[in-house]
Amino acid sequence: MMYRLFIDTWAFATGVLLFIGWLMMVAIRWQDAFNWTLAISLVMTPVYLTVAGTLTYVFIGLRRGASEEETRP
Amino acid sequence: MSESRRSPADRDEPLYRPIEHTGAGFYLTAALLMAVVLFGVYQYVNQFRLGLGVTGMNQPVTWGFYIINFVFFIGISHAGTLISAILRLNQAEWRRPITRMAEVITAIVLLIGGLHPLLDLGRPDRMLNIFKWGRLQSPLLWDVMCITAYFAASTVYLYVPMIPDIAKLRDRGTRPRWLYDFLSWRWKGTPRQRQVLNRAMNILMVLVIPVAVSVHTVISYIFAMTLTAGWHSTIFGPYFVVGAIYSGIGALLVIMIVFRKVYRFERYLKLVHFANLSKLLLVMSIIWFYLTFSEYLTGFFGREPAELAVMMFKLSGPYAVPFWLMVLLNFVLPVAILSRKRTRTIPSILVVSIGVVVGMWLERLIIVVPSLAVPYVDFPSHPYWPSLTEISLFAAAVALFWLGFMVFAKFFPLISIWEIEEGREVAIEEASSRIAGYLPDEPDTPVPEGTGRAER
Repeated sequence: MMYRLFIDTWAFATGVLLFIGWLMMVAIRWQDAFNWTLAISLVMTPVYLTVAGTLTYVFIGLRRGASEEETRP
Repeated sequence: MSESRRSPADRDEPLYRPIEHTGAGFYLTAALLMAVVLFGVYQYVNQFRLGLGVTGMNQPVTWGFYIINFVFFIGISHAGTLISAILRLNQAEWRRPITRMAEVITAIVLLIGGLHPLLDLGRPDRMLNIFKWGRLQSPLLWDVMCITAYFAASTVYLYVPMIPDIAKLRDRGTRPRWLYDFLSWRWKGTPRQRQVLNRAMNILMVLVIPVAVSVHTVISYIFAMTLTAGWHSTIFGPYFVVGAIYSGIGALLVIMIVFRKVYRFERYLKLVHFANLSKLLLVMSIIWFYLTFSEYLTGFFGREPAELAVMMFKLSGPYAVPFWLMVLLNFVLPVAILSRKRTRTIPSILVVSIGVVVGMWLERLIIVVPSLAVPYVDFPSHPYWPSLTEISLFAAAVALFWLGFMVFAKFFPLISIWEIEEGREVAIEEASSRIAGYLPDEPDTPVPEGTGRAER
């Protein structure tokens, strides 16, 4: 159950990144200011990756921290 | 029992009380708020069935209460994460009892504000077209992206510092146990876990500040990138951000004062916290007035006919009352009351804060409606009056906000318990050594190499 939050986080981040990718494809297909679309994508993508990455770091870090305490003699 | 002889758990017992003991007042208030929300839902179903004709919006005013409330609620969201992140980043020690409430405001208000563009659509199903044919170079889509990013970042930023407190609730056996067990992620407070938590909080607080600023800047672009008199302005970005922080602090103060009284948090939320926040409110009031003055003076000085027509519509036309009331509530009242120590009491801060929240809502009204009511083309102009549907949906949004806050307080501590404990245990010593570090070194203290001072 605890992995659920981890999976949801990455599902959300991946969903947004796929959406951004799709919008870039639409811009190419309609020859509709692709350069601007690319520029805005480059700004937005790191934000989602950082949020998902931080939550993953917390998730793994807290589990390891708890396990270390349990295995300590 | 004296304060110092109590065990830490006993000392902070009042912070657990709202979670573990729920009175009849809670259920009564929740039921009342729920009734308001349900009436709003009923009105929305009516609007969905009959179309936007049930609202007061018509040509030329096609944006009314929904867009005003969207800008207003998203603005309030700056209370939380931004203020909390800035105070944490500056190591302002007085932040400890405040940050959690500020962060909760952000999460709830972003959800409510984000729903408003959907309410504004006569055919909400067309929202799905964004996923199919969205144009990423449109400011409207920047808004969607920025608000989603801000919501994601601020929810994580609310949740991560809450983990030690959730673990405390788990260890006390508070119900529902499965919830606290699930959300505490096996927190035991080990040094490694503390290190991970602090590092994650540092990353998030640095991330959240530019995201928060970008959100309201992008909202201002919806207006500023339109060639409409009264909207097409270069200072709209900072003007919106300042207004958002200003209304956010006002809302935070209202929430703090109300919940301090209801949950008896007088020992935690002291006059010093209100005094410090009200000084911030005063500073924001002055900056807000400076930007408003600049915005109107440059428009007036240019004497461009369309710009002047919109301006006169606000200053002496049908929107004169909300305009001057806005100036009174956002500038005259805060400066008159908050600039003197004698009048900076909790009841007067409450009055000013409510005034600022109302005044900032009026500011959103003054920005959105008059520019549409006085179009470039020759078109019969008339003031906009909201219908019962719009008013009930506004009331429902406000009720949903209070209800959301109450439900949060029922499950999680409104004041960060572990941060209060940390403050007692570590911060006093840490803060005094930090202050000592600001003072000049004694003449005989050896100067470390590479500090920029001339070597002897």
